[in-house]
Amino acid sequence: MKISVKWLGDYVALPPSVDELARKLTAAGLEIEGMERPAEALRGVVVAQIKESVQHPNADKLSVTQVDIGGTALLQVVCGAKNFKVGDKVPLATVGAKLPNGMDIKQAALRGVDSFGMLCSSKELGLSEESSGLLILPADTRVGLPIAEAVGLDDVVLEVNVTPNRPDALSHLGVAREVSVVTGSALKVPQPKPAESGTPASEQVKVRVEAPDRCPRYVARVVENVTIGPSPQWMQDRLKAAGVRAINNVVDVTNYVNLEYGQPLHAFDLEKLAGQEIVVRTATRGEKLKTLDGKDRVLDVDDLVIADKDRAQAIAGVMGGGDSEVTEGTKRLVLESANFQGSTVRRSSKRHGLHTEASHRFERGADLDAVVPAIDRAAQLIAELAGGTVAPGRVDAYPAPKPPRKVTLRFARVEQVLGVAVVEQEVRRILEALGFKAVEEGTGQATYEVPRARVDVEREEDLLEEVARIYGYDNIPATLPRGLATLAPEPAHAEAERRMRQALAGAGFDEVVNYSFVAPRSLEVLGGAAKPVALVNPLSVEQSVMRTSLLPGLLDNLSRSVRHQVEAVALYETGRAYFQDAEGGQGQRPAAREVPRVAGLVWGLRGGGRSWTHKDARADFYDAKAAVEGLLGALRVEGVTYVPAGPAAYHPKAVAQVKAADGTVLGHVGEVHPRVAKALGLPDGVFVFELDTEPLYGASKLVPAYRSLPRFPAVLRDLAVVVPLELPNDEVRRVILEVGKPLVEDAQVFDVYTGEQIPQGRKNLAYALRYRSAERTLTDVEVNEAHQRIVDEVKQRLGAALRA
Amino acid sequence: MRDRLLALAESARREIGGASELSAVEALRVRYLGKKGELSGVLGGMGKLPPDERRSLGEVANSVKAELEKLLAQAVERAEAAALEAQLQGPGLDVTLPGRGVALGSRHPVSRTMEEIVRTFSRLGFDVASGPEIELDYFNFEALNLPKDHPARDMQDTFYVDEATLGHAKKADSSALLRTHTSPVQVRYMLNRKPPIRAVMPGRVYRRDSDLTHTPMFHQVEGLLVDKGVTFAELKGSLAAFVTAFFGSDTRTRFRPSFFPFTEPSAEVDITCTNCSGKGCRICKQTGWLEVLGSGMVHPNVFTSAGYDPNEVTGYAFGMGVERIAMLRYRIDDLRMMFENDARFLEQF
Repeated sequence: MKISVKWLGDYVALPPSVDELARKLTAAGLEIEGMERPAEALRGVVVAQIKESVQHPNADKLSVTQVDIGGTALLQVVCGAKNFKVGDKVPLATVGAKLPNGMDIKQAALRGVDSFGMLCSSKELGLSEESSGLLILPADTRVGLPIAEAVGLDDVVLEVNVTPNRPDALSHLGVAREVSVVTGSALKVPQPKPAESGTPASEQVKVRVEAPDRCPRYVARVVENVTIGPSPQWMQDRLKAAGVRAINNVVDVTNYVNLEYGQPLHAFDLEKLAGQEIVVRTATRGEKLKTLDGKDRVLDVDDLVIADKDRAQAIAGVMGGGDSEVTEGTKRLVLESANFQGSTVRRSSKRHGLHTEASHRFERGADLDAVVPAIDRAAQLIAELAGGTVAPGRVDAYPAPKPPRKVTLRFARVEQVLGVAVVEQEVRRILEALGFKAVEEGTGQATYEVPRARVDVEREEDLLEEVARIYGYDNIPATLPRGLATLAPEPAHAEAERRMRQALAGAGFDEVVNYSFVAPRSLEVLGGAAKPVALVNPLSVEQSVMRTSLLPGLLDNLSRSVRHQVEAVALYETGRAYFQDAEGGQGQRPAAREVPRVAGLVWGLRGGGRSWTHKDARADFYDAKAAVEGLLGALRVEGVTYVPAGPAAYHPKAVAQVKAADGTVLGHVGEVHPRVAKALGLPDGVFVFELDTEPLYGASKLVPAYRSLPRFPAVLRDLAVVVPLELPNDEVRRVILEVGKPLVEDAQVFDVYTGEQIPQGRKNLAYALRYRSAERTLTDVEVNEAHQRIVDEVKQRLGAALRA
Repeated sequence: MRDRLLALAESARREIGGASELSAVEALRVRYLGKKGELSGVLGGMGKLPPDERRSLGEVANSVKAELEKLLAQAVERAEAAALEAQLQGPGLDVTLPGRGVALGSRHPVSRTMEEIVRTFSRLGFDVASGPEIELDYFNFEALNLPKDHPARDMQDTFYVDEATLGHAKKADSSALLRTHTSPVQVRYMLNRKPPIRAVMPGRVYRRDSDLTHTPMFHQVEGLLVDKGVTFAELKGSLAAFVTAFFGSDTRTRFRPSFFPFTEPSAEVDITCTNCSGKGCRICKQTGWLEVLGSGMVHPNVFTSAGYDPNEVTGYAFGMGVERIAMLRYRIDDLRMMFENDARFLEQF
């Protein structure tokens, strides 16, 4: 809401500086977001009278003038314009001024003649888009006056951020009331009393409200014999300051009174209303209306309209119709001042995409008590400015007058809720200044009648807020909450998540945060079976469905990095995947199933980039698996196995299911299917993992249990076997550990070799075995026997050959 | 025989003294003291000597052997020292080559900031909770005192979810949407607990808005404290404590009346500009203040939604945008960078 400070001054004495006014209003809850000070842009430009003008001695197109700006001596100014005569009053930009177009005014010699400033056109002052010659000011303009004052721009416009609960502040009178409360100066409310004559209004127009719940009150007045023309400059200036375009005297008055009282008004050409009657009703099916913006609209049966005998002439509280618009020829008009139900106006406004000054106020709630003063004020102003006569009386449809709301305040609650003891007398002063009237007194409490402009005040807490904001939030102390009864344990997953992040960072993975919504295609290309949850009103198809996997985001990030010539990419994200839930939305159950996950991607050079130690080695499956093992290790999740199987998005020969000890599938790790990579325009060799974090965190043993150290030494032996290429390491290990029981403590594979000396289709696996007994020091003989048993069994069971 | 022994000792002394390399020393040890060495050779004939001669010769032999062993040990030490000395004099490692290993990964500034905010409140005894992002209209709006057709709903442009894709029958009274704030978690949290309550609720939120200063997804941290007799003064104290703990002890706080449907009274919280310390700059639009938090006393209607009696308990709630705070903290001047995940951006954190 734009508030003109000059206009505000009509109703209340203002603090000496605008900055102080802004500070006080902000502190009381009307935040001043910005200020326009047009006068500042015109500093140094004053009204000058041309006393003398002669031809420039060296230039045909220039004149040399002597001008008076109210000082002791005349100033000499060289000028190129021709549209003036001696005695005219014009703007002079004095030396040192900076014009809105950026021009700095300096003392200069123009073709050898000194010039002390510049005479200006309205364009040069930023007052108009085009101009020809100097701006000639009215003859009665005072010489020396700052130009901003002379052209009515000496105002400051406050940009007030009015929160949706405060429609009472959507007017100059409403803001003036706040000023009067925070400064303690009296509020001067206009008391309009239009002079009436002629045929009573009730004989000229009938009003019928068919939907009284949606239109609690409708007041009409008739003004006859108006002459439509422009409104006076002062009114145009004020409308402009408030951001409203001037149209004609009648329409300007309705807008002006709206900005003054916050009560939207409308004027109809009475001659154009069929049957000279006004009916407030809901629209009929398919009913049409051309609104003032020139658009033909088909109305909905839920729209409330203002109709004449035959058809709709306005959408109630939103916009008038073109057919009954006030035009140059209008002589007799009917003014509307009504109160419409907020939700009705809001629905119509949304439905037709029409957000207007009127709908903005009605949706938030207009003041029932402003309906009558506003229409009287408008009638009076129209009579003054458009020369009309106001017909006697108001036609007032107010079928069910509503008593003002009453709210009780228990004074002790002030300290209980605010934490500061505001004395009762001060509480009462604040509320009364805001227009609340104490109508009943009780022990330690009073019941207040709420001003009807304050649609937001419904209960005791609302009164407490009024007290708090006027008393001043700054004056309420800051205290820490009282102590805790118990110390809550850290949330279960916080430590697990922290460790997982550390492990991933340690493995070189950068964290990313991607949008939760993705393009349907990016899920389809992964071949996921789950149908994603879709948005009704996405910003674009690229963000139209909720992800069922974190991979699309990571693959997209990779594609960006590849475009930027990044040679090593390792990324991870934690976040949710979203799925349908057949039982969703029942009771407190969420509407969808949201599964927290961690996913990672690695591609390109190993270790973060080219390095003399890595010799340009490229990341592979085992780098992705290392990240998974690393995070599992950090969480101390034990007994995890890797089974060669995975979803369609993965390379069928390079993927593993990650299985918890209890068999739960935690997720997958593997290479992105080459066809998927190709479809996404990605290079080969992209390795990813994606795991559900909840079971992971659930299985983590963050507090390890100590095992006492072995008392006897270990004996180390190596074992190398040549096995079929397809045989997994896990199976060899299982045999070793099983046969070696109880002496083999551990068997780690330390070499995998194919190639020379190894037959086609086979590979050599080498294991480091650690033998130990819990009871004694093992002898060579014992170990040799055990080792031989293992060798034999591995050969026999797995078809392995022992390698020399 | 004695003469041969003494001659042997003499030549051994000379040769050991002249040996400077470990291998030469070892060769001498084998030659003189080895099983088939010269000393053994000389002593081989001792068995044929008479006993008393054998004894005296034995003494001489033992002393020669002991002497040679000592000399050899000294020679080893000398040779080792010389070898080490030679090595120490040789070319050194290029210590300017980078170490072996993996470059550490980075943490996204948003998640990092969110964790720091949460951690700061946990020092004040706040629990951490979360809730669904695909939320019902009821929890996102109605339970928070934002009835249908309420103009305050305009403050938050909402993404709605296609009910047909939710896999369950639509509930007539509540449509599904992407939560526009973390506030619905307040209601869900309270529904399942009895006061006293202290919790923060971090998470993703969504609004249908995208331009230079808005992204359709962003993050909030919500906070809630409910107990008997909680006051606005405690709201001020807690948030001021957070601000100084998080932004530094010379950061000042300003509370301004404002409006949120779910709190009454409501307050915007401004802090002195982190860039100019309140003197006025481009970041704070010359005001010296930055808006970082919304807050207020929990509205009685919200307590009613949660099944609490507003006459029994009071409480405060607050919410903050994580991206905004991260931008201030790391002096990031373009919000959109947050979700582009450019490697050159990420590696800075």
